[in-house]
Amino acid sequence: MKKFGMQAVALLLLACAAGLPAWAVLGQPVQSVEADRAHLKGQIRLIQRQGYSVQRIAAADGGIVREFVSPDGIVFGVAWSGPAAPDLHQLLGAYFSAFQKAARQTQTLRRRRGPLAVQVDGLVVEVGGHMRAYHGRAYVENLIPSNVNQAVVQ
Amino acid sequence: MRRKVLLAAALAATAAAWAGCGGGGSPLPINPPPPVVNNTVPVQVTLGPTGNYVNGLFVTVTICAPGTAQCDTIPNVLVDTGSFGLRILASQTTLNYPQINDSNGNPLGNCGTFADSFVWGPVAAADVILGNEKASSVPIQLIGQGAINGNANFPPPPAACTNSGLPPNDTVQSLGANGILGIGVFRHDCGAGCAPGGASPIPPVYFSCPSTGCTATYVDLADQLQNPVWLFPQDNNGVMVNLPSIPAQGDTTSAGTLTFGIDTQSDNGLGTAQVFTVDSNGEMTTTFKTTTVPSVIDTGSNLLFFLDSATTGLPLCSSNNAFYCPTSTVNLSATNIGAAKETGTVNFSVGDAETLFNSGNAAFNDVGGPSAGSFDWGMPFFFGRKVFFAINTLQTPVGPGPYFAY
Repeated sequence: MKKFGMQAVALLLLACAAGLPAWAVLGQPVQSVEADRAHLKGQIRLIQRQGYSVQRIAAADGGIVREFVSPDGIVFGVAWSGPAAPDLHQLLGAYFSAFQKAARQTQTLRRRRGPLAVQVDGLVVEVGGHMRAYHGRAYVENLIPSNVNQAVVQ
Repeated sequence: MRRKVLLAAALAATAAAWAGCGGGGSPLPINPPPPVVNNTVPVQVTLGPTGNYVNGLFVTVTICAPGTAQCDTIPNVLVDTGSFGLRILASQTTLNYPQINDSNGNPLGNCGTFADSFVWGPVAAADVILGNEKASSVPIQLIGQGAINGNANFPPPPAACTNSGLPPNDTVQSLGANGILGIGVFRHDCGAGCAPGGASPIPPVYFSCPSTGCTATYVDLADQLQNPVWLFPQDNNGVMVNLPSIPAQGDTTSAGTLTFGIDTQSDNGLGTAQVFTVDSNGEMTTTFKTTTVPSVIDTGSNLLFFLDSATTGLPLCSSNNAFYCPTSTVNLSATNIGAAKETGTVNFSVGDAETLFNSGNAAFNDVGGPSAGSFDWGMPFFFGRKVFFAINTLQTPVGPGPYFAY
């Protein structure tokens, strides 16, 4: 039993080292918020709102990440601000590659240099700010509780 | 250390020059004023090197191998008051600039993240010359990877750099410019957060890059990318951007000036400009109707990016939801509020972006787009104004930076 326990710990460490928990927060169960907290070396505060809740992570670098959770425990939105560029691979999880692809397509004609908004298959990502102060938000339209407006994700 | 030595040498040279000017027997001035140099360079708003940029503010920058007369003159560098440090596409240089290494002797890589893109490449030292102003041995970024001008092969951007999900701007085509001159209100592109003892986890800005790959690292402030203006021997406390008025339908091009220093010469006094102090993020706030959000004034943002369609009542364009397209030009106003509670109202206009762009003009004072939760006074704000940017902690007649003034 003890040996099994050691193996489990070793496996867990290996999984962490390999990045296997895969962060994956947007669209995932509320438990995945913990992965973000650990990655950001932050502290979580839970805030209850009408029809949803907010997990507010105060990161060690002064940044703030807010994760918006539906009553059935799914993260439907995330908003961030802070001095470092956001790690959207972590915050967007399974939606990251869709965002990355869409962000690339916005630049086929360089009509615009500034804040970026991407909408693809119900995923909305808005990134903005500037060097030393970044901010933005993302949400998945069909995951937003029916009585909640997307504008709360900020 | 090396910089201190250089500074001392420059001061000694200045003092010596003054002793020479004084003539026989006259005493040395105790505080010799800095030498008067031409502190202005021309800037242009054009379609840029790709022929399709809108409201790009471009300047010519000369970079030299440190301490030599071997230089590259780089036209079409984007003037950006929203970033800090000089970044030049390595493909546009011809010389071998000495790479800056970390404390273990590994080359330093820099990941510069902008709102909508990132640039990656090694940190190198160069003398930076703008008009008659020169900053010596400045850490700059050479954008790109692979072997360039005889430098060793540089690794690709690590995951920590690409995890923003943003596209790379590593070619003239994708950047729309040959480089970016970051001359905003801070001295360094990252600052204390990236220096030893700084933020945790290590910010995804500086990387130690042995040939096996790059990992995030802390870097002394002196080796971080520097706003070159504060390293000029004089006229170093900020900049002024001065562009003429243009008509509502836009103009094919526009030409103005970038002037170094604030109230250091007869040509860069604040005059009647109102100061708006900015916070540690380099931001003030702006109130539009009843909505108050963080805001900046930024030549690197090519349009007025503010709030969203629901808040502004401005419809998005049918072909592209990145721009506002009101059926006729709308006159609006917003109030800027400085960090020290300075307030001032700005009147501005927003027209139909699609129609305006189709004119083929390069300069517009009335094109906007959404930016949820923020207000970004981009290039349209600058036409018909003198706008000042005072650098953090440096003294000006109305107090130290950081501030905007116009």
